[in-house]
Amino acid sequence: MKLTHYFDITRFWLLLRLELVRNYKGILMIFEITFGLLFFLGLLLNVVVANKRIVYDHNVTYAVSMLVGGFIVSSLAFKDLGNTLKRHSFLMLPVSALERFVCMGMLTSVGWVTLYSVIFYLYSIVANTIGSMLFTHVSFQSFNPFGGFALGIMKYYFVLQGIFLVGATHFKGYALPKTLAVLISLALVVFGLFYLILMDVFLMDHVCVVPNECELANQMGMEGPWGIMKVFFQYFLAPLSWGIAFLGLKDQEV
Amino acid sequence: MIQIDHLLFSYGQKKPLFDQLNLSLPPGNIYGLLGKNGAGKSTLLKIMGGLLFPQQGNVEVAGYHPQDRYPQFLREIYLVTEEFILPAMKMERYVQFYSAFYPRFNHQQFEDYIKEFDLPGGQKLSALSYGQKKKFLLSFGLATDCQLLILDEPTNGLDIPSKSKFRKVVAGAITEDRSFIISTHQVRDMEALIDPVIILDEGEIVFFSDLEQVAQKLTVVRQPSMPEGDDVVYYESSLGGYTVVKVNTGMEETSLGLETLFNAVVSNKEKMYTIFKS
Repeated sequence: MKLTHYFDITRFWLLLRLELVRNYKGILMIFEITFGLLFFLGLLLNVVVANKRIVYDHNVTYAVSMLVGGFIVSSLAFKDLGNTLKRHSFLMLPVSALERFVCMGMLTSVGWVTLYSVIFYLYSIVANTIGSMLFTHVSFQSFNPFGGFALGIMKYYFVLQGIFLVGATHFKGYALPKTLAVLISLALVVFGLFYLILMDVFLMDHVCVVPNECELANQMGMEGPWGIMKVFFQYFLAPLSWGIAFLGLKDQEV
Repeated sequence: MIQIDHLLFSYGQKKPLFDQLNLSLPPGNIYGLLGKNGAGKSTLLKIMGGLLFPQQGNVEVAGYHPQDRYPQFLREIYLVTEEFILPAMKMERYVQFYSAFYPRFNHQQFEDYIKEFDLPGGQKLSALSYGQKKKFLLSFGLATDCQLLILDEPTNGLDIPSKSKFRKVVAGAITEDRSFIISTHQVRDMEALIDPVIILDEGEIVFFSDLEQVAQKLTVVRQPSMPEGDDVVYYESSLGGYTVVKVNTGMEETSLGLETLFNAVVSNKEKMYTIFKS
């Protein structure tokens, strides 16, 4: 068994370069559309609709747009597999499945998060400047891509993104809607089971007055199944998704 | 070069397309793979290219198992399919970014092929016609210096001058270490190019022979009346009579066209098997 059958750094770099060249127009378009949506819908609409707002921060906008955009990009990671004619050249390119997987995994995780955070940071500066001129009564908070909130969202993205890579390798065409459909079905089953297991906790009287001091959430956190789910989410979900996605890519046929 | 032993392959739960298929192709030849629609030609080529996985049996191409799809294997094989999509980039850019995956890619040779096929430089691939795109892919594939070129209907979409250029280019590119497998229905385009001929019918190799042997064992005659006799393998009506394929009992060698040969094989498989077995 030769290591170069599976991974070679020169080949990997060539592939990375090729994918960037092939997709740079798409990447630019995504950022242009995102920038427009963020500015016109995220900021202007938000401030106009909620006209009593006196403080505007970008955290929620960042979280939603980064996660949704990232999931879309991840679902498109292996889009050539969804096209019968492109699948031949995709599979015949002299690179290994591991190189392909690592390349697109990196581009859609680290690549996406880094580039998006930089762009969002630049957007927030522009938006705050223009926003301050248009809405003098609102205080616009600066966005810190290295702040606790942003880092927390990145962590969630790294965990969840793998699921969309699984969808990208296993569904030939319409990967995003199909992945979402499977996720929703699975979520219904899992939460149905959780409800049955933790029925007593769900049905007890509870009041959530102070944020983060919710009696129900605290009680659920003490239950075994919930703890197992948290550990699974934090430590196993991402590697499991990556493994399934890689195997899906390796076993592709036309 | 290619060794296939006891290959079993089926699409899903359907009846196997190949069952116990065996084939051995040494390097240095331009193999013609002929067969009716649905005979299994494209499937066989895809199995050789590692695009489909055999359910049973052993397939070895250039010393590798294609289904492993190791990069070292993929750089030794180049597949030009009948239909394809090329990325929206300029020719030069394509060559710059894709040739890097083929360590023996010969840029000078590529330029020569492009000139030979009269392809305009500096064009976006998406702006080329179907035939031009095909010539571009052929030029690229030949310049990779790979051991095996698989061409599926390579002359489809080529204009008349390009077809003869194609034959010239392919004939000039064959070496002792290299093979071509050309799958086609356009047999007249391949006359004097492909040798040996492999005919696939209903998932079985019903004929595999070089043309020298064909000339030794079969003869073709034209006669005005309907032929009769045990030595007749096949006949078809033609202008002013019949073209008859017979067992060659004399020493005279005649040139049997690929189309007639193909028709003779598929219409009389048992007899052809008996003739060529001996």
